[in-house]
Amino acid sequence: MSKKRQSLATLDRRTFVKAGGVAALSQVAAPFIISARGETALKIGVDEPLTGTYAAPGKNEVLGCQLAVDELNAKNGILGRKVEMLTEDSTSGDAGTAVQKARKLIERDNVNLLVGNVNSALSQAMAQVSNEKGIMHIVPGGHTDPITGADCKWNVFRVCNTTRMEANAVCGLLFKTYGKKWHFITPDYAFGHTLYQGCEADLKKLGGTVTGNELTPLGTTDFSAYLIKARAANPDVLVVLVQGNDMVNCLKQISQFGIDKQIHVAGTQQELESVEAMPPEARVGVWMFEWYWKQASGTPGLDAFIATVRKHTGGKVPTARNWFGYVTVHAYALACEKAKSIEGKAVAKALGGLELPPEVKLQPNKVYFRGGDHQLMLSAFIGELLQKGDGDPENLFKVNSIVSGDSIAPTVEETGCKMQMPA
Amino acid sequence: MLELIFFNITNGLIVGAFYALMAIGLSLILNLSGVINFAHGGFLVIGGYLAYVLTPYIGFWGALIVSPFLTAIIGVAVEWLLIRRLYGRDPLYSLLLTFGLAFIIEDGTRQIWGANGLPVSVPPALMSALSSRFFFITGYRMFMVATVAIVVVLLFVLLRHTRVGVRIRAGTLDLETVAALGINVRALRSFNFAVGIFLAGLAGVLAGGQLGLEPTMGDGLLMPSFIAIIVGGVGSLTGTLVGGLLIGVAAGLTAVVFPSASDAVMYVIMAIVLLVRPRGLFGEEGMLT
Repeated sequence: MSKKRQSLATLDRRTFVKAGGVAALSQVAAPFIISARGETALKIGVDEPLTGTYAAPGKNEVLGCQLAVDELNAKNGILGRKVEMLTEDSTSGDAGTAVQKARKLIERDNVNLLVGNVNSALSQAMAQVSNEKGIMHIVPGGHTDPITGADCKWNVFRVCNTTRMEANAVCGLLFKTYGKKWHFITPDYAFGHTLYQGCEADLKKLGGTVTGNELTPLGTTDFSAYLIKARAANPDVLVVLVQGNDMVNCLKQISQFGIDKQIHVAGTQQELESVEAMPPEARVGVWMFEWYWKQASGTPGLDAFIATVRKHTGGKVPTARNWFGYVTVHAYALACEKAKSIEGKAVAKALGGLELPPEVKLQPNKVYFRGGDHQLMLSAFIGELLQKGDGDPENLFKVNSIVSGDSIAPTVEETGCKMQMPA
Repeated sequence: MLELIFFNITNGLIVGAFYALMAIGLSLILNLSGVINFAHGGFLVIGGYLAYVLTPYIGFWGALIVSPFLTAIIGVAVEWLLIRRLYGRDPLYSLLLTFGLAFIIEDGTRQIWGANGLPVSVPPALMSALSSRFFFITGYRMFMVATVAIVVVLLFVLLRHTRVGVRIRAGTLDLETVAALGINVRALRSFNFAVGIFLAGLAGVLAGGQLGLEPTMGDGLLMPSFIAIIVGGVGSLTGTLVGGLLIGVAAGLTAVVFPSASDAVMYVIMAIVLLVRPRGLFGEEGMLT
């Protein structure tokens, strides 16, 4: 290499590195951190997966939070104080990172509310930190039972269903319409384990049998070996409990193998994020959504919510994850207003038992936080997937019934929660 | 039970063939350039998404051919801009570089096409299963295996019977001598890198039809490919092919008896191979020192 070319190469590399540095800085600075609006701003720290397998639901929950923050700031903020939102990437499955980010938000940024996580295991890990620090913490979308059950904490509230509520919402219906021999495909971590336990208990109570439970590692791409086994067991229903991309891959292979033509395919939790990522032929079965955008016309606030989300997502309709985030921030704001304080214990007391107003709950039934375990009693939208959009290309689910949270939730005693409020 | 085992062996071969396709591309690059390409899964994702963009214009079949070529062009650009500068240094440098690249590609994909997955439909002719008994042998999976077989044969012909192929093989064994004989090693490495990335792009298009597209889809497929190389033996493409098939079958069989260990069994096989025969089943001693 000649001298001239060598220097050219060095120059290129330097320029490149500088450019990269600028790009990296702008990444950190621009998108997520809103610059402080005076010293009195109230801070909400959002610790959610922005990368990895749960990036899609994670980002949708963050968007929901952001929309609520915008609405609050457009009015009176919270107790007259502006609301500032700080977002951190918890990763999709690394509890160490999620905890480190939670600590950073609490210790360095002094947030008043910690929000997160999509992943059940990360939610639990974060709850340890928030509890130790005595900071209000709302879990928008981590479903495993103990969060508002055996491990419930005075400062931790949950918006999405518990896995037990999901099982109760669907199992009776599946048993009645499809049959009593069930085979499960279950994700092998906290969420999957408690969801399976719930379904198994319900099925046994109804008098059915489990022909097998395939525990699949999170991030499984090829489900063929499990599907071969499931079909050989000859069940009446194949119950798919995996989520996210795993759900997409699994249902896609089920439809390619034609299993849905031989065995009823169903599951508990289904999400619009997953359904939109599937080709039409894979959209099969009976499921529940935790919130669905297509409802009876005249539901207060619904049209405005849909329009706002569409504006931010380039035309996409809101998903349950958007709604979780939206409810999380609004519920916290309502509790602060009710308590006339932002002090953790006072807010926690106010949030227990708080009923969501129509323009926040965006659905027919009564929706409220139960005081005994801090679990939101939200409705289950039960129905069937549609291969082609009905009326709207994004209307991919036919809701047959909207069941109230009260009717599917176990009692506080049954959850195993012994809530101890600090003195 | 016997039928179940037979089904899973067949199924494992199908899955393994796909691992092998990824692994052979990785192996080519590793053998000649000493680069452990952690961004291989990223190039797979690029191949898949490019096919998604191209399909409305040129159809699935057109995209199947064009997308891997475009991916290879991007690969050569990356090699030329970044990876080339680290040849001859400790493999750790290029490993770190490609590790970072993998993240950049994943997040770049997310920026461009969104975090949510995108649906991919395969041509209707390939959609149905062979028979209701052999429901897991679908037209598309047979097509994937056939594609892998054709690619492997073509690659072996290229390496055995063309001048550039012979040079690549010679370079794998002794790059210095090859360079001393007046062969342009830079160009040779670029070409070799392009072939490897072409295979990654092809794997991406095929995987898109099977799984659907999603920015992290490369992650789950990359580790089995590395394991296939280690089990088969660094330096041997035959070994890589056999390694891929072997771990595919092993994972399938494990799923019959102990499903939650079907991922772990690949690592167990790797550990056993490393303990008993560190060079791998078909590897030559001292290939990667």
